[in-house]
Amino acid sequence: MKVIVKCFSQVRYHLGKDELVFHLEEGVTTSDLEEKVREQAGDLLEGVSLRVAVNQKYTPEAVELKDGDEVALIPPVQGG
Amino acid sequence: MENDSMIISPQELQKWLDEGKSFRVVDIRPREQHELDPIVSLDATIVAEEDLDFSTIDDNPVVIVCQYGLSTERFIRENGAENVVSLLGGAQAWNEFESSKADLSRYARQMVLPQVGVKGQKALAAAQVTIVGMGGLGCPVSQYLAAAGVGTLRLIDGDVVELSNIPRQPLYSSDDVGRSKVEAAVERISSLNPVIKVEMKNVFLTSENRDDLLSSADVIVDATDSLAVRRVLDEYASDHSVPLVYAGLYRFEGQVSVFNYNGGPRYADLFPEQSATGDSCADTGVLGMLPGIIGNIQALETVKIILGLEPNLSGKLLLYDGLNHSMDIIELD
Repeated sequence: MKVIVKCFSQVRYHLGKDELVFHLEEGVTTSDLEEKVREQAGDLLEGVSLRVAVNQKYTPEAVELKDGDEVALIPPVQGG
Repeated sequence: MENDSMIISPQELQKWLDEGKSFRVVDIRPREQHELDPIVSLDATIVAEEDLDFSTIDDNPVVIVCQYGLSTERFIRENGAENVVSLLGGAQAWNEFESSKADLSRYARQMVLPQVGVKGQKALAAAQVTIVGMGGLGCPVSQYLAAAGVGTLRLIDGDVVELSNIPRQPLYSSDDVGRSKVEAAVERISSLNPVIKVEMKNVFLTSENRDDLLSSADVIVDATDSLAVRRVLDEYASDHSVPLVYAGLYRFEGQVSVFNYNGGPRYADLFPEQSATGDSCADTGVLGMLPGIIGNIQALETVKIILGLEPNLSGKLLLYDGLNHSMDIIELD
């Protein structure tokens, strides 16, 4: 199944991409996907907490992904 | 300088009234002129100039008023008594100031909107908004809320203006470098809209002083650059059920939300744990337009809350990216 990750703030900056496309096995959850993204970033996202939204809806608990899902990874930002 | 302290401007006198300060007003014009052109909304005693006697004056200041402020200034120069001040521009200037206060033509363009109208404009005039942080976000927020006629603005920041602030904080001028931000801001904002009340708090907000600083706010605007202060604001807003208009920046991106609105989610619902992410604008860099855009969205949400205009960003997180000009709205509920 195909899942799109929308990158925000530090994720976007460190991976240099607005979006990532993943082809995943059935049964993969949002937290598995978050791990995959963190792996791609090396240690650059270490210590950055990420919030996850699936199809524009905030999902505080890990959920199983479906084909065509769009997952947003959102860090807290501080600048003002 | 000594003479300056013996002259009071209509704006300063209005501040005395707002603060409930005790003072007396003495009109030295002839009674006929006083009756023809009374001093609007001030309770004045009429005393002819030759009968003025300040030898028995108490601690409360006396404001002396003539038609144009010239006779009273001369009187003070010649007979300078302590605690006696001359009203700058006299009855003429005061009455003009009073009528400009009531002059809603300033807001004509926004009042044409059915969502604003006279009722909405009055709601704005009656509102108090507290802005925490007078940096990149606080500057546009305060300017646009003042311009829109929000009746009372309280500005909180203990910082001074630095040269590197000005590209994203153009409320300040290069001459303000080294000055207190709130002091410079109050000056600009009061001249932008002299009929609103602007309070300055030249301190940093902490969990110790938060109750004093945030009291009586109808809406709190989070324009800080500190996650720690943001959590203090979130806690206060949640304890006191005050809407909190949040924004944060990262390079070309901004986040905006309205927390604690009518029982809606709070910041801690979205970011519960202390995060190690501590990137400030100084660390990551920022172009001044970004806080300009995001601060204006915050100001817009603030006005919508005061007007009761829905939907607003309660229960939603807006994510703006200035490189692609994309906006994403995440549902939080």
